[in-house]
Amino acid sequence: MNTKRYLAEYVTLLLVVVVLALVPLGLGGSAYYLRLATMMLIYMIYTVAFNIIFGHTRQLFLCVGALAGCSAYVSVVLAMRMSVSPWASIPVGIVSAAVLGGVFSYVSVRRGLGVIFVGIVTLVFSMIFANLILGLREWTNGETGIETRGLRPDALAPGLASYYVILGVLMLSLVFYHLLMRSRAGTAFRAIADDEFAAELAGIDVTMYKVLAATVGSALIGAAGAIYAYYSGYINPTVFGPVSVDIAVLVTLLLGGMGTLLGPVIGSVLFAVLDEVVRPLGGLNVLVYGVLMIILVIAFRHGLVAMLRKVTKVRIP
Amino acid sequence: MIAILIDGTVQGLQLALMAVGITLIFGLGGVLNLAQGQFAVVGGIVAALCINAGMHPVAACVLGILSAGVFGLVVDRTLLIPAYRCAGEERLLLGLLITLGLSFVVNGFMDYKYSDISLSLRLATPSFDVAGISIRTASAAVAAIAILAFALLFAFLKATLLGKVIRSIIQNEVGAELCGINPARIRTVIVVLSAMMAGLGGIAQGLFSSLGPEMGNGLTDYALIVAVVGGVRSINGTLAAGVLLGIVNAFASYYVGAYLTLIILLGTAVFTILLRPAGLFASRS
Repeated sequence: MNTKRYLAEYVTLLLVVVVLALVPLGLGGSAYYLRLATMMLIYMIYTVAFNIIFGHTRQLFLCVGALAGCSAYVSVVLAMRMSVSPWASIPVGIVSAAVLGGVFSYVSVRRGLGVIFVGIVTLVFSMIFANLILGLREWTNGETGIETRGLRPDALAPGLASYYVILGVLMLSLVFYHLLMRSRAGTAFRAIADDEFAAELAGIDVTMYKVLAATVGSALIGAAGAIYAYYSGYINPTVFGPVSVDIAVLVTLLLGGMGTLLGPVIGSVLFAVLDEVVRPLGGLNVLVYGVLMIILVIAFRHGLVAMLRKVTKVRIP
Repeated sequence: MIAILIDGTVQGLQLALMAVGITLIFGLGGVLNLAQGQFAVVGGIVAALCINAGMHPVAACVLGILSAGVFGLVVDRTLLIPAYRCAGEERLLLGLLITLGLSFVVNGFMDYKYSDISLSLRLATPSFDVAGISIRTASAAVAAIAILAFALLFAFLKATLLGKVIRSIIQNEVGAELCGINPARIRTVIVVLSAMMAGLGGIAQGLFSSLGPEMGNGLTDYALIVAVVGGVRSINGTLAAGVLLGIVNAFASYYVGAYLTLIILLGTAVFTILLRPAGLFASRS
């Protein structure tokens, strides 16, 4: 393959890694803002994964938080109750999320569920997941949650080191995304996003590629969820609830731009800034958040990347 | 046993009241309304404010339902216009996000302004006996209201010209437009009607126990599940799904613990969707 064809992608990946690597320098050593930036990276990974699932194969998974939580709880409970090392239990968590995501996708493709139905089934799964965590008290401590500080590997303790470790994971997932999109699977994804029926007629195995997208996306979500569990030092069902994760990820992806490489990244930055702007408003913050969300959704319907493409006339991946 | 069945049916009717609005707006406007519960909260809280101001409860409830309708009118004529300009999947997504934003706005406003107000209506006689079974007056009232509302809705859709127009748009929007029907106007009528049904659902919640300003999301979730289990396009399906899930809920909470109940309820919803993806009455369309 000629390298020129992917020049824009390489430049974008390089720019993203350089800019994000410089962010901690600009924060002047404030632990609060470093934590915020790290959380932003974790949400970027969620969004990159959700982009593969929803942006490319139109499967509206409203269980991003539940998949992340599943991986997180599997990993933490294994580490806590069976004293498995987190490095060994995180992969188990990731596999569990990937299997769940793959099964949802397979079942919904087989049953021919439309976008809305996939959304509802996965949303219902999120609710079931939250209730299971609450109910299986002896394993998960229910609503009280689990302190993960004692189990945490040093590399994921809050600080500069963990910022760069998580940035590494984000870059891996972006590079993986890029490679996936230039492969045969990427072509299939684009065809499915355009017109699923036509793709099927053209001989593309729609079931296989949809399940593939859901599985790798869910694995990435699981990775981010497990990292979050150790990084934040505390997990409970609420931090993986639809309001904390799914709505944020959906809005981020739409703001950034579906089906783009850069969209999840700039969407997350914008979302993090927005979140920080409305936080000091106290009782009014939900209201302002809602108003801003409506305005942004109406104004940037096709996402920031599409708008930038139009304004700068540059092919932004 | 029969008492549980009655209880579940009544609860289901209330759920169906909330959900039918989602079905109608989706069928007609192609927008999945995620602020349905918030419509109910607006109606209920307005009624509560009027009662606190010394108004007669019945008049207050009517005013509450009307204000939910006005709220629906404003939302349809302002916020939803950008969504209506798009078509197909894009309209669906945009509508989803706009109504989600709207639900945040209503939640935030209610929490900020009226966090200590709730609607709870108490009837003069708490319960009465029929053939040895004690029935709560509130349950009977909710059942009567819901059945009346649904009967009126069905009569409206079957017997009036406007109802025929509405059914024709649900079947085929382009075809209806070719016959000289203006879908935008009908859409407004439907959104107002749905908002009023939701307001009625809110009042029913107030009759049962109480309706607080923070309950919007919970009501939306249940309404959404009921609407989808019913097939999101069929009103009969919504009614049946509401009653089915209400009964499952009542039996499950009687026989097993509270946390398993919700899982059984949600599991029922998932299985219904998987077994009959187009809704309970799919074969008829």
